[in-house]
Amino acid sequence: MKFEGAPDIAEYVKKEIYPDGLEYVPLRENRVAVRVAPEDLTKVAELFVKKYEARLIHATAVDLEFKGFEVLHIYDFSKKRDRLVVVVKALVEKDNPEIPSIANITWQAAWAEKEMKELLGINPLGTPDPRHQFLPYEWPNPVESGSIPEGNKFETPASATQTKEMYLPLRMPIEEAYQSLIPIGPYHPGVIEGQIVYVKVEGEQVVAADIKTGFHHRGIMKLIEQRGYNKGAFIAERVCGICSAAHGLAYITCTENLYEAEVPDRALYIRTLLVELNRIHSHLLWIGVVADVIGWKTGFMLTWGLRERVMDIIEAITGNRVNYGIWRMGGVSRDVSQELAEKAKRTVDNLKEECAKLLALVAEHPVVKSRLIGVGPLTKAQAFDGGAVGPVARASNWKIDVRADNPPHAIYDPKIVSWEVITDDHCDTYGRTLVRVKELLVSCGIVSQCLEYLAKTTGEIRIKPKSVPAGAEAVGLNEAPRGELAYYIRASDTDANLPHSIRIRTPSYRNNAIIPLMLVGSNLADVPVVMGSTDQCLACTDRVEVINEKDGTRKSLTWDQLINLSRRASRC
Amino acid sequence: MLDPVYTVLSLIIIVPLALFLGVIYSFLIRKLSARFQWRVGPMFRMYSDLKPLLGTTRLLQPLYDILKLYGKETIVPDVSRRRLFVYSPYLSLIFAVTAILFIPFPGMPLLSGVPYSLIIASYLLIASTLFSILGPVASGSPWAAIGARREVELFLVSELGFVLSIFAVAIARQSLVIWDIANGGQSIYLALLTVAAGVLMLVAMLGKLHIKPFDMPEAEAEIVAGPYTEYSGKLLGTYYLTKVFILYGLVALFISLFLPPLATSVLWLPLYLLAALVLVFLLTAVQVLNPRYRIKNAINWYLKVVIPLGILNLIIALAIWLVV
Amino acid sequence: MSTEIKILKQVLSKYSKPMTLTYPSTVAPDRRYSQIPEGLRGIPERDNDKCIGCRACYFVCSGRATSIYDKDAKRTVEIFLFRCTFCAHCQEACPEEAIKMTNKFEIAVPDREDPAARVLTDLELLKCKNCGTPFVTKKLADRTYERLMEKIDPIVKETVSTDYKKLDGYCPDCKRAYGVDFDTHTKKYVWLEGI
Repeated sequence: MKFEGAPDIAEYVKKEIYPDGLEYVPLRENRVAVRVAPEDLTKVAELFVKKYEARLIHATAVDLEFKGFEVLHIYDFSKKRDRLVVVVKALVEKDNPEIPSIANITWQAAWAEKEMKELLGINPLGTPDPRHQFLPYEWPNPVESGSIPEGNKFETPASATQTKEMYLPLRMPIEEAYQSLIPIGPYHPGVIEGQIVYVKVEGEQVVAADIKTGFHHRGIMKLIEQRGYNKGAFIAERVCGICSAAHGLAYITCTENLYEAEVPDRALYIRTLLVELNRIHSHLLWIGVVADVIGWKTGFMLTWGLRERVMDIIEAITGNRVNYGIWRMGGVSRDVSQELAEKAKRTVDNLKEECAKLLALVAEHPVVKSRLIGVGPLTKAQAFDGGAVGPVARASNWKIDVRADNPPHAIYDPKIVSWEVITDDHCDTYGRTLVRVKELLVSCGIVSQCLEYLAKTTGEIRIKPKSVPAGAEAVGLNEAPRGELAYYIRASDTDANLPHSIRIRTPSYRNNAIIPLMLVGSNLADVPVVMGSTDQCLACTDRVEVINEKDGTRKSLTWDQLINLSRRASRC
Repeated sequence: MLDPVYTVLSLIIIVPLALFLGVIYSFLIRKLSARFQWRVGPMFRMYSDLKPLLGTTRLLQPLYDILKLYGKETIVPDVSRRRLFVYSPYLSLIFAVTAILFIPFPGMPLLSGVPYSLIIASYLLIASTLFSILGPVASGSPWAAIGARREVELFLVSELGFVLSIFAVAIARQSLVIWDIANGGQSIYLALLTVAAGVLMLVAMLGKLHIKPFDMPEAEAEIVAGPYTEYSGKLLGTYYLTKVFILYGLVALFISLFLPPLATSVLWLPLYLLAALVLVFLLTAVQVLNPRYRIKNAINWYLKVVIPLGILNLIIALAIWLVV
Repeated sequence: MSTEIKILKQVLSKYSKPMTLTYPSTVAPDRRYSQIPEGLRGIPERDNDKCIGCRACYFVCSGRATSIYDKDAKRTVEIFLFRCTFCAHCQEACPEEAIKMTNKFEIAVPDREDPAARVLTDLELLKCKNCGTPFVTKKLADRTYERLMEKIDPIVKETVSTDYKKLDGYCPDCKRAYGVDFDTHTKKYVWLEGI
């Protein structure tokens, strides 16, 4: 199967969507790159978000060495035209990189702009929240690209000391902060991943909330840039342990969009199969985690017991339980034998029945209902403005699903595989639970259709990829269990085997940003439930790692030691 | 009627015995909930190849867990009120141990024959809970403060049910002496009261023992370890030990008040243990089948259940007192 | 209450058998590895006889677990299992099909330097006839010649064969330095281009 876009797509964008661009470049699969002047970015954002109701997928920037920084705003127009994604580009100079902030127009860009500022030093002018997101609040501001503080000193610049309150969570006076702030994190039994959610409570009522991330940056994007396309698939999978198949598929979709890819049908079916099995086990895991958070160990054990069987199927198919490692450009590396497919189909069908039975009971449990209904409310308008994705958005009755709108390189054609997008109008945690329960059953259906195909047919599973043309660009999207997952890759101008830069936008990155919104007004007992309801995955959000050496004698490390240590650890 | 030497001897014996039975009850709760959850749980009969390493049985696993804590470092936070923080667990334990001396065991009347032993026993149990609140409050941790606050709220409503049920029995039997109640005869009216008051007591026990859905004082996903957040080592071990004694005490009190005459003669011992097993099974079933309530919902639920049931109990009790 | 009873039923339907596996207990030896499916991708194993030390696995290794180093006329091909991601790239790349993924998975060892944490193959290096520097493994040289003879066009086969024998056993540096002395047939490259 080949993946080609409409030939007239660039003209279409110029005529119908935005006529004032400086340059229109059609990318593969109906993706169009539009170059605009940096000062026009706000105009474009206003037009796209307000008028066309396009979704901002990601805002990021690429370092083009001597040419400057290229700021990218990626918009999803798939509701307007099939698979249309518009990449708005603006070139800014390196000396004084400044762009107008679009966070005032659509609040979802706030985190992305902060990340731009922290990673590359591009200053978003007029941003509503200038604090750091991934770096510590005390970090010198703005960050100078490439500079490392000498020795172990972190000198707070004068501007920061003057406005010290600005760097505090919730931006409240220091005295008040120490009185009523409760830090949920960085390490808390409710949410066992590194982040801090500060909640200000009155009694047990949450009156304000703020979130701070950046506790485990691993530099995965940089790592892929150094290892090349083939090895990158394995690193991309390791962004997240739970949705590894989704990351693998999104990465492969992106790399295959760099060249004229052709993928055999059987490989596409195997990909779909894996991603959906992955979704089933991820949703079962989520239900278990929420059961655990609301104190129901039995629910946790039962759902994880079911999940174990999904993991067994995955293990039998790919040979691994967590990181499948079968993603290759132009196909997959491992075939599913017909006997195995038949056997797996029987297991999946049984599993579907059992899941339906058990999960219906869980969803009807009176105490579960009393803990979930009305908790963490999020209206559709809030979801749109905050940029919610995945089940969180669908539970707010917003029908977005990348599999339907902008499918990855797998089989999601409704003509071939029958499935549906699940939405729910509860707009709360209970709605999110129902969406996930139903989606899980739909995924079971897709899996058994794929297995049916695989059990009946044989065929090749891999076509040798062609070489990647210099300077190619691609956007790869996939619906991870947590929501839309976006990869942007720009191929190197010189080396056919290395990407110039790669950007990953994970679903938790978006959903975490709206957690404070959902928290305000809830009960303290509900804070972990709300935080859990987005199925947050901090490994996805931060993509960072702190490396500790076993050496017990050296407790603190100087900057040089730390850098050497990390270089040694990643052998680069 | 009682031999003083025997009483003194039995008072000495009952403490390790209560500890042992409490540990067995804890083991049963853990084992049963494990099997409800498709897990193995603590091993009753160890795998043959691991026997030399781990012993034949792990029946005393809850005790080993506590003993392990006694071997650990105890940390007292700087911001705490040191004296209250350190002494509270021990006071709590002393009250719990004293309380069980007033509750009869088959063949051992202990001090349950003294006047007003019912009131003394329930007071001592309440005092033990009180010190498990005071210590955490003195620790200076926000989690402990929230946990203690929840504990107080829960304690108030669950205690209401507890008091109503035991006094309904006391009124019906016209006695405040546990030994007399435990020796009392049975009749159809009393059986009716036993059912009503027994249910109420069971409901109150859920709150007192922090059985789900009423374990919000210790809700780990919300408030870390609740009251015990700052406790470690020996002090935490002491609190856990107290819990074991209280579990034993409440089960024993339940049987002696509502299932006379199981707690009187040695001959009833097998039935006594069976009743305890059933009680523990019921508690476990509630524990595994329910998520945790919010504190607000829990109090509403308690008030909805406890007040009508308590009034019903009192009416039955008064009727028995006046009519029969 | 009715929901709870239904859940109780669901739970009790499996009450008698916990899902926990008995690994690593030896109580039920037949069930010890029951959790391992047929196609489990465990540690890679290398056939020492087949391996020629060509470094193909080194170039494709996605976790940089494979390393190759020469020491005293001995080339060691190593997979450090702590870094191995079990991606099977090396299995796909190996021209001699020497590497096979097995379904062994118990690789935990207390020490990084433990030989159990590595898959090692030692290969003999040929020494240059002229300068004595070890430069290529014997097997690789033999195999290169074999494959060359298999794939080469029959027109130039004889010439190439004689030339190869003349050059055989000299390191690349020596070949370059003393190239004229070997008196090889330079024209063969022209013929190759012509084909």
